[in-house]
Amino acid sequence: MSLLEVRELSKTFEVRGRGFGRGVGQLRAVDGVSFDIDAGETLGLVGESGCGKSTLGRAVVRLLEPSGGVVRIGGVAHESDDPRLRRLAQIVFQDPYTSLPPKMRIGRVIAEPLRIHGIVAEGEVSDRVERLMLDVGLKADLAGAYPHELSGGQRQRVGIARALAVEPELIVADEAVSALDVSVQAQILNLLRDLQSRYGIAYLFISHDLGVVRYMSHRIAVMYLGRIVELGPSAEVVKDPLHPYTRGLLASVPTLHTGRPTVRIQAEPPNPVDPPTGCSFHPRCPIARDVCAQDSPPLTEWKSGHWAACHFALDDHGVQSNQNDPGDQS
Amino acid sequence: MTDVLGQLESAPAGSPRPVGWRMLAASPLTMVGLLGVIGILVAALFAPALAPADPGAQDLTNILAPPFWDEDGSSAALLGTDGLGRDVLSRLLYGARNSLVISVAAMLLGASVGLATGLFAGFFGGRVDSVIMRLGDVQLAFPFILLAIAVLGVVPNRSAWHLIIVLGIPGWIIYARVVRSRVLAEKEKDYVAAARAIGASKWRRLFRYVVPSVWQVVPVIALLDVGFLIIMESTLSFLGLGLPPPAATWGGILAEGRRNMVVSTWLPILPGLAIVATVLSINLLGDGIASVFDTNVVRGGFRRIIPKGAGQPALQPADQALLDVRDLGVTFPTRAGSIRAITGVSFDMAHGETLGVVGESGSGKSVTGSAIIQLIDPPGRISSGEIWVEGEDVTRVNDRRMRQLRGRSIGMIFQNPAASLNPVLSVGYQLREGLRSVGVPRREVVSTVRRILTTVGIPDPDRVVRQYPFQLSGGMNQRVMIAMALAARPQLLIADEPTTALDTTTQAQILTELVELTDQQDISLLLITHDIALVSEYADRVLVLYAGKVCEIGPVESVISSPAHPYTKALLESVPRVDATGDRLEPIPGELPDPSIVRTGCPFAPRCRDVMELCHSVDPMLTAIEQGHHAACHLWSEVEVVGS
Amino acid sequence: MRGKYLLIRLTQMVLVVLAVMTIVFVVLRVATGDPARLANPPGTPEDIIAQTRERIGTDVSLGMQYVNYVWDAVRGNLGTSFRGSQSVSSAVFSALPNTLSLAGITIVISATIAVVFGALAARRPGRLLDRAVLVYAAIAQATPAFWLAVVLVLVFSVRLRWFPAIDMTGWRSFVLPVTTLVLSLSPILVRTSRQSFIETLSEDYIKAARSRGLPSWRVFAVHGVKAASLPLITIIGLQLGYLLAGAVVVEAIFNWPGIGKLILDSLASRDFPMIQGGVLVAAVVFVVINFFVDMLYAVLDPRVRVARA
Repeated sequence: MSLLEVRELSKTFEVRGRGFGRGVGQLRAVDGVSFDIDAGETLGLVGESGCGKSTLGRAVVRLLEPSGGVVRIGGVAHESDDPRLRRLAQIVFQDPYTSLPPKMRIGRVIAEPLRIHGIVAEGEVSDRVERLMLDVGLKADLAGAYPHELSGGQRQRVGIARALAVEPELIVADEAVSALDVSVQAQILNLLRDLQSRYGIAYLFISHDLGVVRYMSHRIAVMYLGRIVELGPSAEVVKDPLHPYTRGLLASVPTLHTGRPTVRIQAEPPNPVDPPTGCSFHPRCPIARDVCAQDSPPLTEWKSGHWAACHFALDDHGVQSNQNDPGDQS
Repeated sequence: MTDVLGQLESAPAGSPRPVGWRMLAASPLTMVGLLGVIGILVAALFAPALAPADPGAQDLTNILAPPFWDEDGSSAALLGTDGLGRDVLSRLLYGARNSLVISVAAMLLGASVGLATGLFAGFFGGRVDSVIMRLGDVQLAFPFILLAIAVLGVVPNRSAWHLIIVLGIPGWIIYARVVRSRVLAEKEKDYVAAARAIGASKWRRLFRYVVPSVWQVVPVIALLDVGFLIIMESTLSFLGLGLPPPAATWGGILAEGRRNMVVSTWLPILPGLAIVATVLSINLLGDGIASVFDTNVVRGGFRRIIPKGAGQPALQPADQALLDVRDLGVTFPTRAGSIRAITGVSFDMAHGETLGVVGESGSGKSVTGSAIIQLIDPPGRISSGEIWVEGEDVTRVNDRRMRQLRGRSIGMIFQNPAASLNPVLSVGYQLREGLRSVGVPRREVVSTVRRILTTVGIPDPDRVVRQYPFQLSGGMNQRVMIAMALAARPQLLIADEPTTALDTTTQAQILTELVELTDQQDISLLLITHDIALVSEYADRVLVLYAGKVCEIGPVESVISSPAHPYTKALLESVPRVDATGDRLEPIPGELPDPSIVRTGCPFAPRCRDVMELCHSVDPMLTAIEQGHHAACHLWSEVEVVGS
Repeated sequence: MRGKYLLIRLTQMVLVVLAVMTIVFVVLRVATGDPARLANPPGTPEDIIAQTRERIGTDVSLGMQYVNYVWDAVRGNLGTSFRGSQSVSSAVFSALPNTLSLAGITIVISATIAVVFGALAARRPGRLLDRAVLVYAAIAQATPAFWLAVVLVLVFSVRLRWFPAIDMTGWRSFVLPVTTLVLSLSPILVRTSRQSFIETLSEDYIKAARSRGLPSWRVFAVHGVKAASLPLITIIGLQLGYLLAGAVVVEAIFNWPGIGKLILDSLASRDFPMIQGGVLVAAVVFVVINFFVDMLYAVLDPRVRVARA
């Protein structure tokens, strides 16, 4: 049994015009998504803005009520404000400037979960806070500081310490390093990896940055317009992608190889309120055929452990010979 | 006071700066306000002790006595007497007491109703919220003062309570709106979501997390509200609708005094001065406190500071370079002292080449771009150096010439494309305006617009020109910006993080198009970015900045494959690459430097792996490593600097 | 799309007018108690009070009175004055233009001052002109209109004899009342306008417009003014109520035959129908003006127009 089981998860938002409540449409931010995460594993979730990856992350820890489907953690589908759920699964947010309460000292921010769940006796709270701060690489004397006195990297460490306080088995990291400068970003990524090897925490690691996801994840899931279009072991997804969207995304990522990339994906993602018929990627897909506009391809296991939602996943698209395809250069 | 409220509604959550006496004391006007408020409080609280006479005691033998400074005045009645021989000073003191009691009570009434409804509506939202806010709309669409006047006129046995209710109740909406909008903004923030994730209950989230970030604005509103209520209370008293006589009120004293104003000019003047002084003090104090919350630095203004020696013929000998930046320094004066954004930055660009400028926050990469087109955000200014563009030093040319250079010689595109287009003007208008200003004949404008939009990859230009920026995607808006910048065929295009706000696939499309277009038209491109990988793909040469100084400059191939500066090296090693194996990253230890702290030596020294004793004291100079490849690092210094 | 937005706003306005009518009815009834008692001096025999009730229609149930009040008001019948049997609506509507002309001139002058001085101050924040504008705003904001009016009369009518102190007689008589109202309305408008210009001028799109080499007058007048004037319009809408209050005071002091004076006089003579009618008409006019302010906002801001329709 996996630590996290997500089955057919959906989240729909009502999109309404102003005035006399005239409903305009439904935005299917997450549309029937299923995946598992094992204990101590990192699943990277990658996609562009508006693909639903953050919504999915928040639905997993029940900060958003799913519209359909099941989320089981440790085999149990919890109610949203069940304290047991809160001790199993935590979340780290993107923006280090809004994810900490501005008027609360750092020590108390980290002590809050300890007190709420009575994890340690009141007399031991400050010792435990100090230990958590050391765990995430913060000097203990920062406990008296307010968030605005800290740098972005330090704030992100506080957010991680707060999540660690409940001794969770799963942490959703929602673009946890995207707001940081490159030189600080690597520190936080390594911290998250160290914590995983020390405490066996599983991560759902959400990012728009394929390089970061590749570095952090055992497996990678690629999302497009509310669905997972590809899911597989990281090295395989990056080197031998099955879905044309993944291929295009990889080709778009700037690499340190000089010379310009070939742009494979044209135009921009469609309006999610009014998604295309069939495969939602077909209007931008370089290999789309008639069938793609009619039938939505299911997520299929084409190779062992490597899934893709494409009618032509195994076709050779002439990609392998391309010099600029990062899959060929390692 | 609504303008202050607007600021409070939109002020960033829980301002980073706490309200401290020191900050208030820093502004003399606020101190004046504070002293005034203390004075009026003393007068109101101790009126019975301070007043020389009973405010109601009439003395018909001594009516309309002049104040002491008048030659007929006496010290018995310092401010003279009114038409019934009552002591004016005593009546003013009691007037302060009455006015303040009623205004403060009315404020408390309005504030408590408003705070409760605002918190409730904001946090729980839904139907309760919409009902409360509709009520507020009706209230705002209604002249309550007029109704108040009518009510006080018809109510039998008018008392202080009637005044308090009539003045206080309409005020709830001010508190409710501000508190609600702050609560709405706060509760959507991640720290409240985080509180939920760690298991904090709804009430704990409201009172431990949201309220502490919101309540700080309330004293300011309350203070300004009291000032406003004092004016309203005295207005009602003046109209004969305030506290019934013989109670002393400022408005009442004034109304009585008005009857004798030809004889005794001071009678109507004095209570008015009391009101002005009181309300002015309150407002000064309120504004002072509000400005502490307001974290927005006053920017704005069109001022461009030209260094001394302007007006000299700004010419240099003919040269190969299109752009030649020499020893450029930009500083931002602040109260705490000047912050040096960049120091001693020098580089040049040839015609048609693409130079990538790479750096993290605070590296000065954007300031460098803004300095070249002479649009540094105020209060920043060029403190040293020269910027030669096609043989003209743009730091010294006059404003008129600079305007001609902008657009035609130097173009610029920005990070946030939607914010860089005017939200209330259509895309077509802005395109046509730009074309007209660079001299495209009127009858060719429409066709030119269509042509340039097609060039930048916009499939349906005729639809796009009719739309407003908010109706277009980020990628479309950036294409429009590029079209606008290229339309004037500049020699140099500065692109400041042009794709940072965009998705990866859009970024690749737009940069590829941009680089192709600048290549075709032989335009030099200054590509400013935090992403060294981006530069490696699109640029010919790269300039690496750290903490406002040049670390390294050279051809992309050699900088990427054999970086000379430890910072460049470390930067390359700390970027997780999609095409790399899972080897552990080597992060750069420590934090980015604080720009307000001036330190000697190499700015990277505290984080550097190869740091030497020398690095902490001596700033390294740019040294040539090979042809066209320079680095500012003591590892490459050929001459040992001794004894400095 | 514009038509749809207009239609929605019109419906909303009708609802607000109904709400306003109800508020006026309820609040005045609660405050007064029995209008018939108000009309008669204390100690009037009960049978005379009963007669008054019958005459003004308050002898039926309160619900019935409300229905009659709304129905009459919709048909433009606001009842008859207690004094002199004059029709309330004719009295109110002959006073209304005098107040509106006062308010209209005040708004135009104040808004012009606000745009001009707000913009000039914002061009050089912290400099002399900016400080002067802020000092003016602070002092004017703390100055009550009634005192200002008295001082103006003292100086310009009593001492200098330049302008008449009372009554509406030709353009000269407008000077002092309008000055009073402008001085009490303009400070908040100037401050709003200054703040709005400062914010607008620091927007990215202003920098972008300048980077294209547009002349600064064009950046300022086309790109700055249109966006910066939006908050000013909002604030004018919100300040109308205070302007109306100021008008009452000014009309009382300058003996101006407007709606404020009418209400004050009716309060003095305890003329309930006139009070109710005056307040009602003023409130409805206020709602209608606010509606036009909203429309103006929508015309200037495409985001409102498109997003809400």
